[in-house]
Amino acid sequence: MSSIPLPLRQLSAREARFFAAAADAAFPHGTTRDGPPLPSGTEAGVVAHLDGWLELLPRRNRTLIRLLIVFFEYATWVLPAPGRGGRRRFTALAPEQRVAVFEAWSGSRLRLRRLVFASLRMLLTSSYFASPAVLRATGLAPLAFATPVVEADLLYPPVGQARDAIRWRREDLSRPPLHAPLDPHGPLHPDYTEEGASTGERARAGESAGAGARG
Amino acid sequence: MRVFADYTGPVADRCDVVVVGSGPCGAVAAYELAAAGRDVVLLEEGPPFTPADFELDGARSMARTMREGGLRFTSGYVMPTMQAIALGGGSLVNSAICGRCPDFRLAEWAEAAALERTARSDLDPHYDAIAAFLGIAPTPDEVQGRRNLLFRDGCQALGWDNEPCARNVVGCRGSGECFTGCRARAKQSMDISYVPAAIRAGARVYTSVQVQRVLAAGRRAGGVEGRVAAPFTGAPGPSFRIEAKAVVLAAGVLATPLLLRRSGDLANRSKQVGENLQFHPGTSVMGVFPEPVEPVFGATQGYQSLHFLREGFKLETLWAPPGVLAVRLPGSGLELEQKLLDMRRAAVWDCIASCKRSRGRVRERGRSLQPAVHWRFHPDDARTLGRAVWALAQIFFAAGAERILPGVAGLPDELGSLEAARVLERQPPRAADLVVASTHAFGTTRMHGDPARGVVDEDLKAHDLDNLYVVDTGVFPGSPAVNPMFTGMALARRSALALAARI
Ligand SMILES: Cc1cc2nc3c(=O)[nH]c(=O)nc-3n(C[C@H](O)[C@H](O)[C@H](O)COP(=O)(O)OP(=O)(O)OC[C@H]3O[C@@H](n4cnc5c(N)ncnc54)[C@H](O)[C@@H]3O)c2cc1C
Ligand code: SF4
Repeated sequence: MSSIPLPLRQLSAREARFFAAAADAAFPHGTTRDGPPLPSGTEAGVVAHLDGWLELLPRRNRTLIRLLIVFFEYATWVLPAPGRGGRRRFTALAPEQRVAVFEAWSGSRLRLRRLVFASLRMLLTSSYFASPAVLRATGLAPLAFATPVVEADLLYPPVGQARDAIRWRREDLSRPPLHAPLDPHGPLHPDYTEEGASTGERARAGESAGAGARG
Repeated sequence: MRVFADYTGPVADRCDVVVVGSGPCGAVAAYELAAAGRDVVLLEEGPPFTPADFELDGARSMARTMREGGLRFTSGYVMPTMQAIALGGGSLVNSAICGRCPDFRLAEWAEAAALERTARSDLDPHYDAIAAFLGIAPTPDEVQGRRNLLFRDGCQALGWDNEPCARNVVGCRGSGECFTGCRARAKQSMDISYVPAAIRAGARVYTSVQVQRVLAAGRRAGGVEGRVAAPFTGAPGPSFRIEAKAVVLAAGVLATPLLLRRSGDLANRSKQVGENLQFHPGTSVMGVFPEPVEPVFGATQGYQSLHFLREGFKLETLWAPPGVLAVRLPGSGLELEQKLLDMRRAAVWDCIASCKRSRGRVRERGRSLQPAVHWRFHPDDARTLGRAVWALAQIFFAAGAERILPGVAGLPDELGSLEAARVLERQPPRAADLVVASTHAFGTTRMHGDPARGVVDEDLKAHDLDNLYVVDTGVFPGSPAVNPMFTGMALARRSALALAARI
């Protein structure tokens, strides 16, 4: 089964293959010391998330990210991976060679080289953590709680919508409860439970992962 | 109140005062002017965000709420820097820390910038009024969560000053989500506090409008003009023009200087517009504890230590979306995944440095209103930040951490004891070794008693014009030592009251 989710809106097939290879180099399959394995990068939906995220970026930044992909894909021509065929493009390397490439970049003595790698790592990590499964497994999923209706909610419609989209009236107003700390072991935000729709899926569908469920 | 969908054709309006930018400084100014009975128009390029628009996913949230999709960098010393584009400006996504600029720093400002009325006693009435309006109060223990309280315990064990952060928050639940917008509606960001109050007082608010030029002739500003800008894409819509008896610019440290330069190099006889850019660069350290910390619970930045303020740095607790925090974790593969699993037992604390010697400037990038930001990190300032990293390491071990991840290049990924961490003391990290970011910036339209050396006077009126004011944090003559928002608001309030009395 292909690890590239379809259809893609921003990434070309080649760019998607690069991100899939990079995501699984950063987050491979396997068992960690502390129990249940985390999903791999592609299982966590990194490619789909990046595709949806790129769509939100200004054109200039999108172009810079495309350049970053090309740069990394072919950097092995100049800075080869260890082992046989180390000068092949990144996506053509063996999985352990890809990991070795990452380690060489992150441990470089040159700040600029580390920064370039940090940019790629930033894309992969933030997309990996968009996965509800990853957040649940690491114990970092957002908690559920009710959102009160405040005066401002009578003034502004959701972004891009007309004023008649304002759902709230004066009688709906409530106040944030005082002295009501969340329970860290309390229920998770519905989007992050096992049953909830995954953010990755919504990102693919181009919808907002709105966090404003009101209780 | 107008949102993007309301614009069907060109907009023209007239008022006493037009305020550009609805961040903490612009929102306070707009409210005070409207409350004083002036006819006010407040203009904001970003849209208002409702809780339905908040994204808990850090990357998507930044792409929508931050300039350049959250990917803005300085050149010179390459460093990410974030500015918001939203009704409420930075207050929508910031951690709500409200610190008063300490006396010693205001005395330094007075000396360096020939100021006569900007001592703490001058600003305290403004701080007090804003604190009362926004409910600014120390973060209560009940919402601190373990990751903040461990910081307190560590400081106490070392005998270092520590205190809960005062924040503009009412009814915090401890969700740690300030960075993506407070869905508990507890954070009193400008969009839910000062802006609605300004509207109640009669101000008209236009969102999704990009001001492109200040209209001026001789010593007088006559208003502003620009275009409607679609949310997120910035696609240009109909034009607008607002005529006003006075213009207040609060577009932020990196945007206001560009507006002035684009408007015929306005207010720039001193040649200081866009110069003197300063940052509070910051870096963070993660510590792993033997027991679960459950960092998902706790006020985003609930505790701080001002112990080393005079030495040039401040220490704080920190939380952000896990994908943003995990960016700094070293390694890849299973080793990285193990570190992600460790985050449940981890706390992340950060330090920011005052950086008196590091300087930069902002210029326009091509013909756009996007800034080209250049900044150099002076080695002395980097050493100060390095000392702050060592201080954080000490707090972690004093609080019982089993190891820390210092995030310093050239050092082991993990340091397992205070002894091992002493390498930070022996070999302070250099600028090139640190992973640094900044969200606090100042100086590009600095206030100075001498018109030849600064852009605005102590009332924040441009020296070169009779009715143009700049009220954002660009007016700071230097670092405020602590988080800047509260001081920016206090200065904006004073300026607005002075302006209200003049027109
Ligand atoms: C993630 C983050 C966390 C932070 N945490 C804290 C904290 O806890 N405490 C603290 O004190 N500080 C904090 N800060 C910094 C603080 O938010 C800023 O110092 C503060 O917002 C500056 O206020 P301002 O009014 O000067 O500018 P801004 O908040 O930047 O507001 C400027 C506004 O002007 C608008 N604008 C710009 N150009 C135009 C134009 N041409 N036309 C129309 N509108 C325009 C912008 O869209 C923006 O809304 C944080 C910042 C960030 C990004
Ligand atoms: S910690 Fe959570 S509840 Fe408290 S102010 Fe920040 S976002 Fe709101």
